Amino acid sequence: MITPGAALSKSAPLLACIGLLCAWQVASLALQTESFPTALEAIRAVPSILGDKESLVNIGASIRRMAIGLSLAVLFAIPLGLLMGRIKGVASFFNPLLMIIYPVPKAALMPIIMLWMGVGDMSKTLVIFLGVSLPIIYHSFQGGKAVEEKMLWSGAAMGLSAPQRMLRIVLPAALPEILTGCRTGLVLALITMVTSEMIARQSGAGNILFNALDMAQYDTVFAMIIIIGAMGILFDAAFEKLRGWLVRWSKPQHDMPLSFS
Amino acid sequence: MNPALNKVLLGITPIALFLALWQSLITFGYAPVTMLPPPGAVFLRLGQQLFTSDFLHEIAATLLRLFAGFGIAVVLGVIIGLAAAVSPAINAVVKPLVRVMAPIPKVALYPALLLILGFDHASKITLVAADALFPILLSTYYGASMVEQKLIWSAMAAGTPRAQILFKVVLPAAMPSILTGCRIGLVISCIVVFLAEMITSTDGLGHMLVQAARTFQTVDMFVPLITISMLGLILNSLLHGLRTYLLRGFPEV
Repeated sequence: MITPGAALSKSAPLLACIGLLCAWQVASLALQTESFPTALEAIRAVPSILGDKESLVNIGASIRRMAIGLSLAVLFAIPLGLLMGRIKGVASFFNPLLMIIYPVPKAALMPIIMLWMGVGDMSKTLVIFLGVSLPIIYHSFQGGKAVEEKMLWSGAAMGLSAPQRMLRIVLPAALPEILTGCRTGLVLALITMVTSEMIARQSGAGNILFNALDMAQYDTVFAMIIIIGAMGILFDAAFEKLRGWLVRWSKPQHDMPLSFS
Repeated sequence: MNPALNKVLLGITPIALFLALWQSLITFGYAPVTMLPPPGAVFLRLGQQLFTSDFLHEIAATLLRLFAGFGIAVVLGVIIGLAAAVSPAINAVVKPLVRVMAPIPKVALYPALLLILGFDHASKITLVAADALFPILLSTYYGASMVEQKLIWSAMAAGTPRAQILFKVVLPAAMPSILTGCRIGLVISCIVVFLAEMITSTDGLGHMLVQAARTFQTVDMFVPLITISMLGLILNSLLHGLRTYLLRGFPEV
């Protein structure tokens, strides 16, 4: 038996989506410009994009690049972040460099990386990797720093070596924070993916979006925005499920990540 | 040697190593100068351009959009965040909306903004504001909802009117969290304003980069990148200064 209140809070995000689409519909009816189709027209254009084999392949390629870039970043950034959190020297070694790199838009490196590696998958994946790594490093660093000394002492007293302590104490203890970083990273990967494809117009979801803009196919532009937006919402919701299961032992956390850097 | 100096030296090492690696790639002939200009040439060009009026004009255009977007995001984020934390009714509306809108990649909205708001400042400023809004909103919300109930009770016991509690108790207590959100929002603003200028613009740092890339002027491609990184650092340290000023007397967090 589901109470009405619980049902309402479960369907609230869905209601929010519908509300946004309604607002869009009203706004475009009010503005009446040709370049701003109504929500219904845009939704009607979605099946034709998803039905087209070439666009599907393109979107699939985008998601593949994103997945590879994100996984590489996770494998690289979590160990580095945890080491920075546990060893002071490592932290003061890397911190200034990271601070300099942080405000540089990673997708802006795209033109330079394209010079070296061409417009192919390599450069786009590399840009995604660079963009995603920083927040994950930062959150792993914070998580590693906050691990209680006492647990480490107990571990050492029970004869765990330093690498074992890292793996069996620091990693699980910092996991909630690390996963917050990964969630930020996931959204960021999607952003970087779109931007990199927009700069290297060759394939991918971003390419479809901006080509449609150049060719004034406004329905396609807005349909593509819906598709990319839906991808963002779905990935985020799926990751949230996974995160909830992985850290089900920890205190319930904020249901929204704090940083979207 | 004192520990603070030690820390600074340790921090400079990787930056120096990075520059050395960059230089040695060229010196030992792994990368042709046309693909990767030597760091000396890049910084020299930056130094030359820094005081030309053209370059300052580009920086001014970028900064204008950055501050406008960031300012809007701060005002809206703090107001909505506080309102959602104080009133359950507003919270019920804001929360699902934020949940849905926060993970949408805002860059994808940029074409729509272009079509609706035109190619001028407005679309870029809106994009920056939309991207910087959510971290500020969320950290304000969490900061304000975690204010200790005891503080509010004491203020009420001391006779503070309900309307003033928001400004005299909740807002100052949430300040550390709000400022953390602002810091994240600021970095995002730097990134987004640059990207927006790269996509469509006639001026600004992002436009400089695209222009240089089209003509394969590799030195000129690095100059705007380094400039935005330095702008980010300067703005960040200004915000840090503001934080230490606003939070004087707070226990160090």
